[in-house]
Amino acid sequence: MNRREAEEYLYCAMSIGEQLLVSGAEVGRVEDTIRRICLAYGAERADVFSITSSIVTTIYGADFGVCTQTRRVSGMVNDLDRVDQLNQLSREICQEKPTHEEIKEKLIQIQNRPHYSFGIQLLIYALVSGSFSVFFGGDWKDMAASAIIGVLLKFIEAFVKKGSVNSLITALICSTVGGFLANLAVYSGIGDHADLISIGNIMLLIPGIAFTNSLRDMFSGDTITGLIRFMESILLALVIALGFTFAGFILG
Amino acid sequence: MKEFIQLMAALFGSLGFAALFNIRGKKLIFATIGGFLSWATYLAAACINANPYFCGFISTVLTTLYAEVMARIVKTPVTVFLVSATIPLIPGAALYRAMNCLMHRNYAGFSKEGTYTLLFAASMSAGITFTTVVFRMIWRQLYSSRSIHIR
Repeated sequence: MNRREAEEYLYCAMSIGEQLLVSGAEVGRVEDTIRRICLAYGAERADVFSITSSIVTTIYGADFGVCTQTRRVSGMVNDLDRVDQLNQLSREICQEKPTHEEIKEKLIQIQNRPHYSFGIQLLIYALVSGSFSVFFGGDWKDMAASAIIGVLLKFIEAFVKKGSVNSLITALICSTVGGFLANLAVYSGIGDHADLISIGNIMLLIPGIAFTNSLRDMFSGDTITGLIRFMESILLALVIALGFTFAGFILG
Repeated sequence: MKEFIQLMAALFGSLGFAALFNIRGKKLIFATIGGFLSWATYLAAACINANPYFCGFISTVLTTLYAEVMARIVKTPVTVFLVSATIPLIPGAALYRAMNCLMHRNYAGFSKEGTYTLLFAASMSAGITFTTVVFRMIWRQLYSSRSIHIR
């Protein structure tokens, strides 16, 4: 393998790692995947370091020397189906060693795979908010109100995300509007308890993946990443809870 | 009756979350069952010992075990099942109440609810870590002994 080929394959491995990280995989998995792919293609040594926002990899080989690449990773789309598919792809790569053109083609296929449609996503938002409103003790009126607000929040979220502001501001806007809507629902008699309606919507916005992963990262040795993600998810959770309580505070 | 309604709510809530994370097909069903199991084990543990931290710990230990086993059977990353299964346990309501107390300057309530949120999250993390570490140790032992046997 010459130097150019080594760079191409490393580029592919980094792309897979980046996609994994963005889709919500733990950092340990990202590092492990990149290392395995590099070693499978004949690197003598592969040093991978990743945190939530960056990946650095250096590979060593007698025939191509030393080769380093860096990625700045931004954004987060919770898509565990993609994590699953990328994981399968990396297993295939390690066993069958396809060419880099084939890997790139498969990566594009994974990116273009279907998502749930917007209509179904609205239903999902309604389902989650309604369920958790009941879960924490709401009655059927609270469930209905929470489900309706969940659907409205999906629209608001889609609208705010188009403005491409950061996730903290998106969460703050969504939760503040959600809080006002919950109080409005109680005033107009659709729901009974503003707090239980809000709790259903909070569960919708709360960063569940980030929180669970941060705990796993921290205790599997990736302390820095774990702490970053833990702080991010705590901050986000605080902002969401503050947004929802803000409306109740203003309206008394 | 209250428990039954809660269990159903946990089931549908986890189904919604699993779908929100774009999990599909057979895996969607297993992830949903995981959410149901996590709350069922929490309620079962509550019958033995009413301490919520203890229940949270036991429940996450068993839920993580379920996620690890299912991940091996279906051949998918553990995260896929773990994330949606632990959703009903996440102390969202306590966090909301803590913030609510803070906004109304009820500092005693804030410290009570806030402590509960943090400690419950800590006991969840302890449960997840416990199973992950033990399961991996055992798995590695089995796996390495088998491969030696074959070769």
